[in-house]
Amino acid sequence: MPESGIISVHGVTKEFNSATDRSVTALTDIDLTIAEGEFVSLLGPSGCGKSTLLRILADLTPPTAGTVQVNGKTPAAARRDRDYGMVFQQAGLFEWRSVRRNVELPLQVAGVAKEERRNKASAMLDLVRLEDFASHFPWQLSGGMQQRVAIARALSADPKILFMDEPLGALDEMNREHLQAELLRIWSDTRTTVVFVTHSISEAVFLSSRIVVMSARPGRIAANIDVDLPYPRTAATRTTPEFFEKVTQVRTVLHGMLAAGETS
Amino acid sequence: MIRRFSESATPLTVTLLPTIRGVTGMTATRNLSSASVATAGPSPGRGRPGWANAATLRNGLFSGVIGLAVLVLMAAVWEGYKALGQATGDRLLGIPFPVATDDLSMPNVGTILGALVEPARRGDPASLGVYLLGEASVTLREAAYGLVAGSLLGLLLAVVFLHLAPVSRGLMPWLVASQTVPLVAIAPMIVIWGGKAGLPPWMAVTGIAAYLAFFPVTINSLRGLKSPPQVQTEFMRSVGASRGQLLFWLRLPAALPYVFAGLRLAATASVVGAIVGELSAGTGRGIGRSILTFAYYYSNGPEKLYAAVLVAAVTGILFVQVLNLIERFALRNRQTR
Ligand SMILES: Nc1ncnc2c1ncn2[C@@H]1O[C@H](COP(=O)(O)OP(=O)(O)OP(=O)(O)O)[C@@H](O)[C@H]1O
Ligand SMILES: [Mg+2]
Repeated sequence: MPESGIISVHGVTKEFNSATDRSVTALTDIDLTIAEGEFVSLLGPSGCGKSTLLRILADLTPPTAGTVQVNGKTPAAARRDRDYGMVFQQAGLFEWRSVRRNVELPLQVAGVAKEERRNKASAMLDLVRLEDFASHFPWQLSGGMQQRVAIARALSADPKILFMDEPLGALDEMNREHLQAELLRIWSDTRTTVVFVTHSISEAVFLSSRIVVMSARPGRIAANIDVDLPYPRTAATRTTPEFFEKVTQVRTVLHGMLAAGETS
Repeated sequence: MIRRFSESATPLTVTLLPTIRGVTGMTATRNLSSASVATAGPSPGRGRPGWANAATLRNGLFSGVIGLAVLVLMAAVWEGYKALGQATGDRLLGIPFPVATDDLSMPNVGTILGALVEPARRGDPASLGVYLLGEASVTLREAAYGLVAGSLLGLLLAVVFLHLAPVSRGLMPWLVASQTVPLVAIAPMIVIWGGKAGLPPWMAVTGIAAYLAFFPVTINSLRGLKSPPQVQTEFMRSVGASRGQLLFWLRLPAALPYVFAGLRLAATASVVGAIVGELSAGTGRGIGRSILTFAYYYSNGPEKLYAAVLVAAVTGILFVQVLNLIERFALRNRQTR
């Protein structure tokens, strides 16, 4: 792990409602470095602070203590420069805009000229294989298609980093596995760095080059697990013994952590 | 089908009641808490946008039929009540009828409709109906100007309130107060001030219409501006959108269905405002003036007053229907709400 990663987090602590009787320490003393081109999953039980950490990276909430650098800048500067794109659990598309105009939105905010916006949006829709739905409206699409539009939208301004908070969480198993494969294809096409929040072990193993396992109360990083399965990974990868082995390893770490948490 | 029914039935009741109440001048104060806040929340389960297709046409026809049926039903109730009163001498089982049924109190529906085609004045070739429509168009124009001005003000206030919460909390009670003060008290004041400032009477009337129109627009728009879910506001933040971009590309478009819900209330309110305003303005034209005149000469021709009220109600409905068309067009790409 090079110290000069595209994302670096040092001693980050996050406390909600500090100095009240409802104060919650969501994260304590987080150190994390992510190198360019990595696909990192944040994995852990519900409430361990995965979303909070991602939201701190994206400057959607400030840390209570610690320093964060994203693309060599403060998260706020990275956000304003559109260095990252964000995909949430809900697609959150604007229902009065066509699919194409949804994808154009980040470019419109950036003040890109109309012609270029259109071309870029078309390219993005090709990338997520929705070129035939450009003039549809979000409510005319299935949940999985909406989520693909959200991915296209997040990528349209060519960010170097993609933050995803359980983007496939609301989908059924079939759609989910299909989109996981699509996501890997997009990742290898665009060479973006991905930080991906999930609480599915198999999803994390299938997608990631590295899994950051987090523990709850207080939220901290419990383990870094490299996933050395070769890319490109396909549906066949899921049936290999190596895949099962990795899933088992991660599960053991998670369960060991949970057991330790219960006894302490 | 049910949705269509309520859409066509609402303007009827909403328009008729305030119009008649406003005219009698007894309760120009409206019940704000219930009347001014219409919800425009999404109602799931409906598909394609409804703009100019066969199904829309069928639904439109259906609502037209329902609207006519209501009119026929009301006429039937009116005539039935009158016939019953005439037959029993306004007494049933010893209980007197609340409203007498003689021709002075309740002229026949036929007489009222007949009055519309008779000459407005002796020796005048134009019929009363044409004359009333002319007056109604004056009122509609005042109401429309008032609606536009009031709505713009209302929307502006909503945007200000959105960004300055303390201002909103401090000002809101006064806005509510402004709407609970009886219109019959406010209207003459505005007319007098307008007169002193040398403005023509119709401007004062427009002002009164705007005064009633802005409030429901403010309340509903504010709710609409706050309606986008957290994913959407945070997405705008994540792409580094400015405050203006957040407002114009997310909050205002998201508020549009709510704004229209407010506009619909404002439209009926502005018609009431215009009519009551005309009653207060000493001179000038308009259906309000006609109603006042016919009320004054009631015993000479009671049917004329009812004809005027009927025309006022119908123009109110038309006004709201025009707004409905605009709304349908503006929201044509949204999932039907
Ligand atoms: N806005 C907030 N105000 C107060 N507490 C919060 C807030 N957001 C999160 N928390 C608390 O911080 C902790 C971590 O929350 P977070 O949403 O980051 O968990 P998570 O790992 O994403 O969980 P999940 O897998 O369920 O999404 C939780 O205990 C939660 O109660
Ligand atoms: Mg979460």
